[in-house]
Amino acid sequence: MDTLRTLFSRIASLFRRRHLDADLDDELRSHIDLAIEENRKRGMTRQQARTAALRSFGGVAQAREAYRSQRGLPILDQFARDLRFGCRQLLRAPGFALTAILTLALGLGANTAVFSLINALLLRPLPVPHSEQLTVLQYTRSDSDPSFSFSHPIFRFLEMRRDVFMNTAAFSDRPMQVRSGSGNVNVPGAIVSGQFFQLMQTPPLIGRWLTPQDDQKGGASSQFGVVISEGFWRNWFNSAPDVVGRKLTIANSPFVVVGVMPRSFIGADPTTRPDIYVPLWSEPVVDAPYDAIASGYHSWWLRILARRSPGVSLQQANSGLQAATNPALQEAISDAEWLKDQREHHFQLGAVAGSTGFSYLQRDFLKPLTAVFALCAAMLLLACLNLASLLLARSAARERELATRLAMGASRRRLVQQLLVESLLIAVLGTAAGVVAAPAVSGALAAMVLTRTPGATLDTTLDLRVFAFIALTAIGATLLIGLLPALRATSRNLSEQIKSGSQTISAHERKRLLPRVLMGLEVALALLLVVGAGLLATSLTRIYRTGLGFDPKGVVNLSLDMNKQPLDGDPLTRWYENYGDALLRQPGVKSVSYASITPMDGSVWTSTYHTPESGGDKEIYMNTVAPAFFQTMRIPMLLGRDFRWNDTLASGRKIILNQAAAKLLFPGRSALGQHVLESGEEKKTYTYEVIAIVGDIHYASIRREAPAGAYIPIAQDTGHKPSYTAVVRLEGPAAPLATAARSLAASMAPDIPPPVMISLSQQLDDSIRSERMMAMLSIFFAACALLVTAIGLYGTLSYATARRTNEIGIRMTLGAQRLQVAVMVFRENAWVAMCGSTAGLVAALLASKALTSFLYGTSVHDPWILIGAVALLVAVASAASILPAMRAARIEPMEALRSE
Amino acid sequence: MGDSKSDVLQGTLDLMVLKTLESMGPLHGYGIARRIEQVSGDTLSMNQGTIYPALLRLEQRGWITSEWGTSESNRRAKFYSLSRLGRKQIEEATENWERVAATMARFLAPS
Repeated sequence: MDTLRTLFSRIASLFRRRHLDADLDDELRSHIDLAIEENRKRGMTRQQARTAALRSFGGVAQAREAYRSQRGLPILDQFARDLRFGCRQLLRAPGFALTAILTLALGLGANTAVFSLINALLLRPLPVPHSEQLTVLQYTRSDSDPSFSFSHPIFRFLEMRRDVFMNTAAFSDRPMQVRSGSGNVNVPGAIVSGQFFQLMQTPPLIGRWLTPQDDQKGGASSQFGVVISEGFWRNWFNSAPDVVGRKLTIANSPFVVVGVMPRSFIGADPTTRPDIYVPLWSEPVVDAPYDAIASGYHSWWLRILARRSPGVSLQQANSGLQAATNPALQEAISDAEWLKDQREHHFQLGAVAGSTGFSYLQRDFLKPLTAVFALCAAMLLLACLNLASLLLARSAARERELATRLAMGASRRRLVQQLLVESLLIAVLGTAAGVVAAPAVSGALAAMVLTRTPGATLDTTLDLRVFAFIALTAIGATLLIGLLPALRATSRNLSEQIKSGSQTISAHERKRLLPRVLMGLEVALALLLVVGAGLLATSLTRIYRTGLGFDPKGVVNLSLDMNKQPLDGDPLTRWYENYGDALLRQPGVKSVSYASITPMDGSVWTSTYHTPESGGDKEIYMNTVAPAFFQTMRIPMLLGRDFRWNDTLASGRKIILNQAAAKLLFPGRSALGQHVLESGEEKKTYTYEVIAIVGDIHYASIRREAPAGAYIPIAQDTGHKPSYTAVVRLEGPAAPLATAARSLAASMAPDIPPPVMISLSQQLDDSIRSERMMAMLSIFFAACALLVTAIGLYGTLSYATARRTNEIGIRMTLGAQRLQVAVMVFRENAWVAMCGSTAGLVAALLASKALTSFLYGTSVHDPWILIGAVALLVAVASAASILPAMRAARIEPMEALRSE
Repeated sequence: MGDSKSDVLQGTLDLMVLKTLESMGPLHGYGIARRIEQVSGDTLSMNQGTIYPALLRLEQRGWITSEWGTSESNRRAKFYSLSRLGRKQIEEATENWERVAATMARFLAPS
């Protein structure tokens, strides 16, 4: 009770310090006055009375100090004092403070930004109850990486089993064409199986979940139910409370709203935000005219999430699935040949942790993000080393002050604490600046990661995990920055300093080793970053210099969604022709064509062809194109003629091969005019006449070689309502064309969503986004590292030289030339740079192997990059050393000697 | 806070202050210090200044209260007086002291 009361009174006094101080002073004054009065009464003179009064009182200052420490909280008081002292120290050298805070802000900001991206994509669990029970299903085959896409029959088999999982659900994201007042628009949606919402366990905001009863062939009653998101409910239905039961026309078919999910619910993929959830069995409706369910085990398109039963470990789930592999295959699929192939390749089901949901971006960016994170960490370490050496150099300048305080009885702990508070101050300010900048950076990074997935988002807001990371990093940085200099500056043997003054050269030499080691490490790290940046940047330029086989400059793509409008067959082909002619009449348009696949758009279509001399089936990368495709893309036509709009099936199947395919199918002879054969379904064979040979182009990846490819004409496309992308070569700005294309589409095909335009160059950039991200970030970090290292080398050398003014004065008095002095000073950093570079080079040779998988056409041991990096660092080190060296050379010996 | 030696000293000074206030009524810091000096005679050498942290400590514990007033010679001074809790504390501390003193006396008495 007493203790508590005392504590309250002490805390209260913290806030009334000034008033209480005045109060105490009044009281003490009245005490002395009373004493003087009494002494005077005893007959002392005024002076005597005053002296006697003060003597019997004892030390006024001590009494006041004891009173204050009784009054407040000494530790807090001390901390506040240290903090004020630290602020003064920083303000005294604002240049140093600013550099320190900025370098740290850079390191910490970059780390925070990348970590919050990693957190959003790879670490943050889905916001559903017991997300740790979630499991992602995969399968492995001996001839490929694990795959996460399943076919409908296998999923339906797995859905029934309830041994290791409480619930198993499949999902697939896609835009849904929803009828609005002004025609159809695309809304992000997801196809989910019956148990999806039971598995997620998030209660609906309004209405009910979709249940297994909703997920039945043909719908529960006559039409399918859908669940919508809170945002969609607000925007589309104006937050109508009676939304349940309302109609929604998706893909020209009626659906009925059964429930609304709250804003916190984001579905199973952390990178998408579906607004509409439809039952799996409605896939033939929303995907019409396609039907992935009907294609059975030929279509592998469903991702599967499952919730383990309580007490079932991931391992048990995994072995349960492994055991279920054979029954699943036997039960779900009856194609004996296919089953045999799967057995030969050891097809096996498995389970991996799924608390973060599932996104293919997680697989794609795990390695690049880890690498980027390592770069950031190296950058932060470098910034810390830099600050440590600067503080070390600075505290060396203060060592006499500290030694004096030690000698006067300050405890070492007290001094270390004070010096640490100073570095804490730097760390906190740096962290604050970094954290303020981080969200913008992580937002930009997220945009880069998501560039290929339209409508995708990543929530990179700073959550508890990010804050814990920031706090830990800041504490680590404080210790790293401050502890070494603080311990160093207060080490016991320093008290010798006070005895012998500053001229003890031998002790000096030994003491200068530590800062040199620190700076050497910094140089090594900088070299590592520069080498990494050099490798990644070289690799990126090589990617860009790769001959693509076509000219992307000035080409834009307009993707058209034709699968939900009424036209099909020849009328649709004529529509494409007319739309193309209309586009061609727009200003700046040079040529227009269509393709089912545009280079690097992420899709792949292969087919197998053979000829009598090809030695069996050959895999060929296919594309369906309209006339003028090769001209528009500037793909050289080596022999033969282009397709024409009247190359219909009636005029015989035509094909255009690229050089690689021609060589593959017709080894050693001309392919033009020859026939290639395709083994179609049900043992049918189709014969195609080769009408032209064109140049090879990169198809789905810039990094991979241009494959053997073939083109068939748009007029011979046998698919239903095929959607093509218009490729337009254009001179001048693209924006007017986008508007024109949209209004043309609206008038010529009112049912289709507005066409989306993207430049082909942008599409290529997007296809190498992780390479671009890594190269840009690594160059940025390397530039920062060079700058920070330069500041560090300059700062430490300046301090060290300033402290040697006296010594240099003596040297000059004894006959040293100014040039000699400059060389002597310069040499110090030259040594540090040399040793650091050597160490860094060795480390780079060892560590760069980790980059191998990111590089294209670039050896990790590329001598030019290594030499260039070393040369760059040596140049930076030299530049940083010239100023201090020149300053040292300008020292006037007499002044220097007098200054001590 | 502090080690055991100063605790004992603190305890003695605290009790002296409380007893002084009990016998003299409300008194300012100087008066308390002079009174303790007079009562203890030459046996205790004390800086008068040390009385103030002690007064603050007692006030923080709620054993005494303080308020500004005027001295007999018309000077502004801070007067301290005993609280109800303080009177109880005197009883407890006195008992405690007597027990310790008696124990010590038994040890020190010639056997």
